[in-house]
Amino acid sequence: MATVVLGTDEFYPLARAQALANGLPDLPVVTVPHPIGGIAEKAVALKAAPVVAQVAAALTSVAASARQIAPAALSARHSAPDDLDAFQGWIMEQGWGDGLPVVPPTAERVRRMLAGARRAPDELVALLPPRLGQATVERVAVNAVMAGALPEHLPVVLAAVEAVTDPVFNLQAVQTTTHPCSPLIIVNGPIAARLGINAAGNALGQGARANAVIGRALRLVLQNIGGARPGREDRATHGHPGKFAYCLAENEAASPWEPLSIERGFSRDDSTVTVCASEGPHNVNDHGSTTAEGILATVAGSAASVGSNNIYLGGEPLVVLGPEHAATVAAAGWSKDDFRRALWERARVPIGRFAPENLERFATIYPEGFKDAPAEALAPIARAWRDIMVIVAGGAGKHSAVIPTFGMTRSVTRRIAG
Amino acid sequence: MDILDPAGGTSTASRQLAPRPQALGGLVIGILDNSKPNAAALLEAVAGALRERFGTGGVRAWQKPGASTGAAPAVLDEIAGACSVTLTASAD
Repeated sequence: MATVVLGTDEFYPLARAQALANGLPDLPVVTVPHPIGGIAEKAVALKAAPVVAQVAAALTSVAASARQIAPAALSARHSAPDDLDAFQGWIMEQGWGDGLPVVPPTAERVRRMLAGARRAPDELVALLPPRLGQATVERVAVNAVMAGALPEHLPVVLAAVEAVTDPVFNLQAVQTTTHPCSPLIIVNGPIAARLGINAAGNALGQGARANAVIGRALRLVLQNIGGARPGREDRATHGHPGKFAYCLAENEAASPWEPLSIERGFSRDDSTVTVCASEGPHNVNDHGSTTAEGILATVAGSAASVGSNNIYLGGEPLVVLGPEHAATVAAAGWSKDDFRRALWERARVPIGRFAPENLERFATIYPEGFKDAPAEALAPIARAWRDIMVIVAGGAGKHSAVIPTFGMTRSVTRRIAG
Repeated sequence: MDILDPAGGTSTASRQLAPRPQALGGLVIGILDNSKPNAAALLEAVAGALRERFGTGGVRAWQKPGASTGAAPAVLDEIAGACSVTLTASAD
């Protein structure tokens, strides 16, 4: 049936990419000046009026020559500058860089990288939206080389690529949303120590090669194979620094509880990645509390936020407890689930704290939680206590972190092969 | 130096756009709201103006379950069965 897509000019590149991915490069997209959200309906009607004739024309005529999509060449090679400094400029011009220097993915380097995974180079790992790019083992290896990864990192990257393409992760939306989210890779199991993936001090910061290159490799895969280019199909309003690289290991040795992988049904011998579409970490400073209740009060107060996606969309907010905070909580005899339950009960936002217009919107999206709710009612940070994820990571110090997520997404855990 | 392509191929096959009607007079317009703020207002304003200026028929509206969730195939079939042309919205 003849269809016309309407949108705003700011989001035109994304609409075009969607049309192309669906095999319809000439699907008519008619735009009005951005924004239409957050303005009066009357103002929307004023923006609509000038495009009506264009919409009518697009509904009744098709572009004279519907284009065919050229099949992309497999294993295409490109001639790049030999000079390493010139190469850095060139790779950015191609739209394949992230702004940091990139290792040239020569055939020889990619061959060495592929030795890290005992899988056929042309095996299709996943199709990555929005472009529906074919993430073959070789193509993932190309991006891993560019990120500075070593062959032994490749199985972790491949497991992460498989994880983000589980339908419940909602990668299409994660890749293209205005929300600042990026897949945080949490590594569990023996591989973390073997590869030197930092779980301790500064685990979410700089300084550990494995964290940096594994996180960066996934980002380059998503950008290049998936085709989520910043400012084009990747519509993030701000993004966040974790979009360069976002990877840590759980500090299993310092945790008083079972690690995330065991919680999700894997064994101690399994190594796993868990991906969650995460905002940047927000610190929870509590140097005073010596009780579980005290730590709970501070974590809950930091997590209960008016402007987070989880408050109205649900999903799984993540709490990264520092080992010292975790020890204080566990010393009271609390299990991890006890803490999650208590946090769900405690981390709530009084309805009266939301802006009335925003509340109206929440009430249409999640009526059970917000419709006709009295000002003194309390909105929890997740739909259920089990939706709150808790891991233990970090080094010495009285800090934890809360990490809200995109909301319309679920975390996914996959075993790392090999 | 030669480098390998980091983007690679896609699995997209070209498809034909649906045939267009000659004229819009009397046709039922479907609206598929993508659940973004004011998308319905924009789509309804355009549909209303089409009726005034091009004499289209009735308007029927559907909404995606969420901004980041696709419409179910059954809903798309329903729209195709009930309407002659459709207006939908993309992104914010």
